[in-house]
Amino acid sequence: MFSTIFNYELKYWLRKPAFYIYMAIFFFLALFFSASSAGIFDSVTVTTGSSSIVNSPFGINGLFNAMTIFLLFLFPSIIGVSIHRDYKSEMHTILYSYPFTKANYLFAKFLSSILIVTIIIVVVGIALFIGFRMPGTNSEIVTAFDFKSYYSAYFIYILPNILLFGAIVFAVVTFTRNIAAGFITVILLLFVQGLMESLLSDPENRFLAAMVDPFGASATNYYTRYWTVSEQNELHLPIKEVILYNRLLWLGIAALVFGLVYKFFAFSQNAISISFNKNKGERATKSNFGGITRINLPKVGFDYSFVQNLKTTWKLSNIDFKYIIKSWPFLSIVLVGLIIILIALSEVGNLFGTPTLPVTWKMLNGGSSFTIAINICTFLYAGMLVHRGKIANMNHLVDVTPTPNWTLFMSKFIALIKMQLILLAVIMVSGILFQMYNGYYDFEIGHYIQELYGLRLINYAIWAFLALFVQTLFRNPYLGLFVLLVLSVGIPLLRFAGLEQSIFKYNEGPGFQYSDMNGYGNSFTRYFAYKIYWLFAGLMLLVFTALFWVRGLPHSFKERLSIAKSRFKGITIVGFAMFLICFLSLGFKIYHVNNIENKRTSSKEREIKNVEWEKTYKKYENNAQPRIVAVKAHMNIFPKERNFDAKGNYLMVNKTEVVIDSILLNHNNYPSTFKFNKEVDLVLEDTIYNFDIYKLKTPLKPGDSLELDITVNNKENTWLRNNSPVIENGTFINNFAIFPSLGYSGAGELSDNKTRKKYGLPPNDLKPHPSDSTALGNHYINKDSDWVDFEATVSTSEDQIAIAPGYLQKEWNENGRRYFHYKMDSKILNFYAFNSAKYEVVKDKWNDVNLEIYYHKGHEYNLDRMMAGMKASLDYNSKNFSPYQHKQARIIEFPRTRGSFAQSFPNTIPFSEAVGFIADVDDTDKGGVDYPFAITVHEVAHQWWAHQVIGADVLGATMLSESLSEYVSLKVLEHQQGKGKMRKFLKKALDDYLTRRTFEQKREKPLMYNDGQGYIRYQKGSLVFYALSDYIGEDVLNGALKKYVEKVQFQYPPYTTSIDMVNHIREVTPDSLQYTIKDMFETITVYENRIKDVTSTELENGKYQLDIEFEVSKYRNDEKGKKVYNDSITYKTEDMRKPIISVPLADYIDVGVFAEDESEDGEKTEVELYLKKHKITEINNKVTIIVDKLPVEVGVDPYNKLIDTNSNDNRRRL
Amino acid sequence: MKLTIKDLTKTYKNGVKAIDNLNLEIGTGMFGLLGPNGAGKSSLMRTIATLQSPDSGSIEFGDINVLDDKMALRKVLGYLPQSFGVYPKMSAEKLLDYFATLKGVKLKSDRAALVKEVLEITNLYDVRKKHVAGYSGGMKQRFGIAQLLLNNPKLIIVDEPTAGLDPAERHRFLNVLREVGTNCTVIFSTHIVDDVKELCNEMAILNGGRILQHTTPTEATSEIEGQIWTKIIERDDLETNEASYNVLSSNYNQDNTLNIRVHALEKPADDFISASPQLDDVYFIALKQDEPTLA
Repeated sequence: MFSTIFNYELKYWLRKPAFYIYMAIFFFLALFFSASSAGIFDSVTVTTGSSSIVNSPFGINGLFNAMTIFLLFLFPSIIGVSIHRDYKSEMHTILYSYPFTKANYLFAKFLSSILIVTIIIVVVGIALFIGFRMPGTNSEIVTAFDFKSYYSAYFIYILPNILLFGAIVFAVVTFTRNIAAGFITVILLLFVQGLMESLLSDPENRFLAAMVDPFGASATNYYTRYWTVSEQNELHLPIKEVILYNRLLWLGIAALVFGLVYKFFAFSQNAISISFNKNKGERATKSNFGGITRINLPKVGFDYSFVQNLKTTWKLSNIDFKYIIKSWPFLSIVLVGLIIILIALSEVGNLFGTPTLPVTWKMLNGGSSFTIAINICTFLYAGMLVHRGKIANMNHLVDVTPTPNWTLFMSKFIALIKMQLILLAVIMVSGILFQMYNGYYDFEIGHYIQELYGLRLINYAIWAFLALFVQTLFRNPYLGLFVLLVLSVGIPLLRFAGLEQSIFKYNEGPGFQYSDMNGYGNSFTRYFAYKIYWLFAGLMLLVFTALFWVRGLPHSFKERLSIAKSRFKGITIVGFAMFLICFLSLGFKIYHVNNIENKRTSSKEREIKNVEWEKTYKKYENNAQPRIVAVKAHMNIFPKERNFDAKGNYLMVNKTEVVIDSILLNHNNYPSTFKFNKEVDLVLEDTIYNFDIYKLKTPLKPGDSLELDITVNNKENTWLRNNSPVIENGTFINNFAIFPSLGYSGAGELSDNKTRKKYGLPPNDLKPHPSDSTALGNHYINKDSDWVDFEATVSTSEDQIAIAPGYLQKEWNENGRRYFHYKMDSKILNFYAFNSAKYEVVKDKWNDVNLEIYYHKGHEYNLDRMMAGMKASLDYNSKNFSPYQHKQARIIEFPRTRGSFAQSFPNTIPFSEAVGFIADVDDTDKGGVDYPFAITVHEVAHQWWAHQVIGADVLGATMLSESLSEYVSLKVLEHQQGKGKMRKFLKKALDDYLTRRTFEQKREKPLMYNDGQGYIRYQKGSLVFYALSDYIGEDVLNGALKKYVEKVQFQYPPYTTSIDMVNHIREVTPDSLQYTIKDMFETITVYENRIKDVTSTELENGKYQLDIEFEVSKYRNDEKGKKVYNDSITYKTEDMRKPIISVPLADYIDVGVFAEDESEDGEKTEVELYLKKHKITEINNKVTIIVDKLPVEVGVDPYNKLIDTNSNDNRRRL
Repeated sequence: MKLTIKDLTKTYKNGVKAIDNLNLEIGTGMFGLLGPNGAGKSSLMRTIATLQSPDSGSIEFGDINVLDDKMALRKVLGYLPQSFGVYPKMSAEKLLDYFATLKGVKLKSDRAALVKEVLEITNLYDVRKKHVAGYSGGMKQRFGIAQLLLNNPKLIIVDEPTAGLDPAERHRFLNVLREVGTNCTVIFSTHIVDDVKELCNEMAILNGGRILQHTTPTEATSEIEGQIWTKIIERDDLETNEASYNVLSSNYNQDNTLNIRVHALEKPADDFISASPQLDDVYFIALKQDEPTLA
């Protein structure tokens, strides 16, 4: 019997067109993803340049699994349908009386549908294979076909996942006899999976996270998380412990689920129903004798008017709306969504364990995780409503009523909108609940309503139009749903195929962003211009819905077309034409503004432009240019009008030993004028690259000077286009954005060598090596100046304060505007910014230095911490390195719409409202890092480490600024808050470093030769300097740095390099620790330290003896992340399959023993019983340590000072 | 008002000609449409009820051109399909209010009064708060009548409404229908001859998409007065008899003999006795004549 049912099922599917449609959709999806990742669209969009191989085992596993997750959405309509079909056709009433066993029936149904799913997956595999090799893909990033990658992805991940999710869907549909239930289950499972992942995102929980992930991705990640690019490209995915446990666990659960189906499934007529009030059975009889009644229907008024139909529309929408909100799929989505939002909210903006205050915009941002739920509900319920009559078999009763079609489908549309209103309210409710839970009672209900209903609703409504149309077009609501999902995910991805303009992609367009300082700024007009544009598209779809609306019997598509044609008349044509005209004219307007009035540059064109720029102008790179020695700026900011106009004056001197005959002026595309104080000829004016060459009538002799007067202003802003960086409250503009620079700039050069080769450019090294003594003429901030005199006048509206670096000389009002004149008393880098907003000011003093914080009213929360940070940083840096060069330090808040960072200009630090002003710091031991304090310390430290010591524009320059500022920040934090809190910081830094290096697209260099990547200069830099201070002592290290600062501060060319700094450190490092310089600065060295075994014995004298066995090994990575050893030692015991290899060791490694103290309220704190550096020369080590108290934990490098890919096995509990 | 159907033809995608150049005129009163399963009854009724479009032909009801102005017909139409479902978890009262809205009853109070009345007519008032989806077959059919009455229809189309009803339900159903049908046109399709006999003042026999006979029940039976003959035979003799006579029906008796009815203008043989004609005989004669002959 099994084979009969099985074969019948297979034949059923093979005959069904839907099967081939699904197959085709997946074939093309997989083809699109694989081909585009392999660069098939390189001819129309940017070149896919990367050091990653796209079809490495790692890449294939990722892509293949992602496709399967998409396939999950089809499970209800394949696996669910296999059994649901019998209910729907009421075949089960006959079938279930036939002589086959439950096992035959269930297994045949289940396995046949699994086979169907498998066929689709095989098609996906084939499509991936073809996609990577399609003509036009970039063969540089595709490696040879490797069958093992496909089948191990299939057998280890995909097959178990199909069985698991298949079994779950099968179970749900079998028992509820409802496909929608199966579908919602899939969505909920995906939600819950996402939830678990974010709940268990802490590194401590990685094992648990690996086990509970039903897809197994976290289990793989458990091993591959820190794989370097070379490992990702070359290695096969491991198949070992955690992955196997995970797979077995979930296969077991799949078996269990299927077992439950088998146990509880009965060949019965009725679905299992759960009833909470079990009524006692009653004998039921009906009256079998009815008299004849006279029929006398009451006289009632019938009204078929338009107005009445409108009322009917509303009434019907209420009925449909009630149907939605009472259905359990909806309720479960709302419930799970609520939980997810609440959890997402607790994660939002969490930095080093410190959350931010739950301000409303944070709540609204966190609620974005609900977006997908709203879309899925819209897509699903559009189908459920359109087909509601058919599903209930009531459509014929409805269709013969004198209600016009538009009333029917408009009522469905309105019901969908009402549903969206409710779902948006969920975001508001959860936001407010979260705020209340956190004791934050500043509820901005108006803000919630404005954003949710004023801004976001229209976006969802536009989707609802599409959903209604697609669901009307397709007879199967699940196919419709799937198509909608593919559309909603796929439309934004068209960008990768070179379709970049939003006006060609349904419901795409610019977004909006809120900041406390500037509200929504000027994002409204553009946002609504696009939304209204798409609204017209939606209305046209509504007309199509009207044309294709099914009334009566199902028709063939041909018949529907002819019906549509016959319906397209009169008011329908007029309406459609109107929408079309509005759509096209608005679209044309937007297109015109973005393409004709202003030149639009596609990513491809931009790439080519960069190539052309380099090819045309790189020859001028080494042309001698004068250096700017003084800058006078005059900046007028008009916040209300969002305009600026500025004047600048550069004083330049020929510091070279050659005669300079022409000036290369590299400017921006703002309307500008340039005027030299000497006679010049404009010999080249390039309006594409905004690069001009002026030939001096009388060449500039060495030592001669030249002045340049600049005027610059922005073009008028229009409703579709912002032409100015000025915003209404919180303008923040730096000099690079408005003023010109001298000479060729290499900033835009393509960095990927394969792409460069394609365009005939030589490979580049980005920056010269620090040992190249000819490359030290410029520091890394500017190429046209060393240290400059600076003076600025800034004006703004009367209610704002405008700020530039320097000391306030004078403040006055003139013509209803407020003017500020700032001047520097010492030379600074040619690097400054203008800020303007309605500020409150708080002032303080450190010694004779004036401290000021300019902040947005209402953001008072952390001013004390920032003030303390300024003082602590000034204190530490001036004590340890050199005196502070200024007499003031200012922090200036700017809106988060401008970014979430702080940046140090001379004595002036613009600081984003998002990164400290609203932090919610917990000062207890359990709390996270006080980052308003830490960031302030870092930024103030830049006044030394950038504004006193500035590195030459060569590799490793950022180590001198960013790594050192981060080091200072860590040290100040350590002195203030103790070592305990440092672990959090260090662990996070280590995790971030190890994670981000896996995304390296070009190369990773050792710290002192780094290319400027954030993960090296911040994370690795902080780890290295912190560890170094531990090894050689903070005083010794700072002593060396002090000597170094004294040597190089305010230096003119040749500028200092990392080599110089490292040499200073090397000098004070004892011989036994010289290896740390090599490991930390000169190479990428990674440890693999772990406790192997430990036993503790209580001695007679009450002390404890610990016998610890641990392993220490380290390897080096080349710039692609390949392990290299050169010389090596190995260790292997008989039960080890592979030996442990290490670079020869003569290292000093911490070994620690810890006890626990329990305070009165049950809080446990760690107590260090023993911590000492042991000299390690072997991989395998055994030590015996005697301690006084009961030990609970031992560790090798227990504080994770060293870079170690698995920091969790460094400790072992007893 | 009169329903006039002219030259109506409908062919389905699979090649079946469900309605074949059909002409029919139906006046006020109960009109029974008799035909075997698959005769095209439902297709015809759905076409009249505006649920599907014919390939050609015309349908007029009074001065309404049904095919061109579907809305006009829907205003006066009451339709009960052969099988229907309802939205789950909705009570009869709610559902009827829903339908009353769809049928254009404007005022809430009007709808309430109307719903109450139709519930009482169909004897569903006591169970008005119960979910219709949980009704028994008879109750559900009565609900179908209740919804059909809501717009006080002039043309009522009911498709095989008595199939599967118990005798009491069937009687009650037919009575209600009769009541309703006094002042309007009721088209009533069935394959149960008794339904037509008891109820209809006019009837047509439909097969293969064509009207075989358009008559009244009394006229039809009186036309074949004296042409129906019956005889009791052994089972084994059936084939011989079928070969010699025009056998309309054969029924078993309790002793395993067969009772056959034969149509013939004169007594076919001595052992036949004359029987009074039934409507069944009319039906079978019509179908017999329509059987494909082996040419």
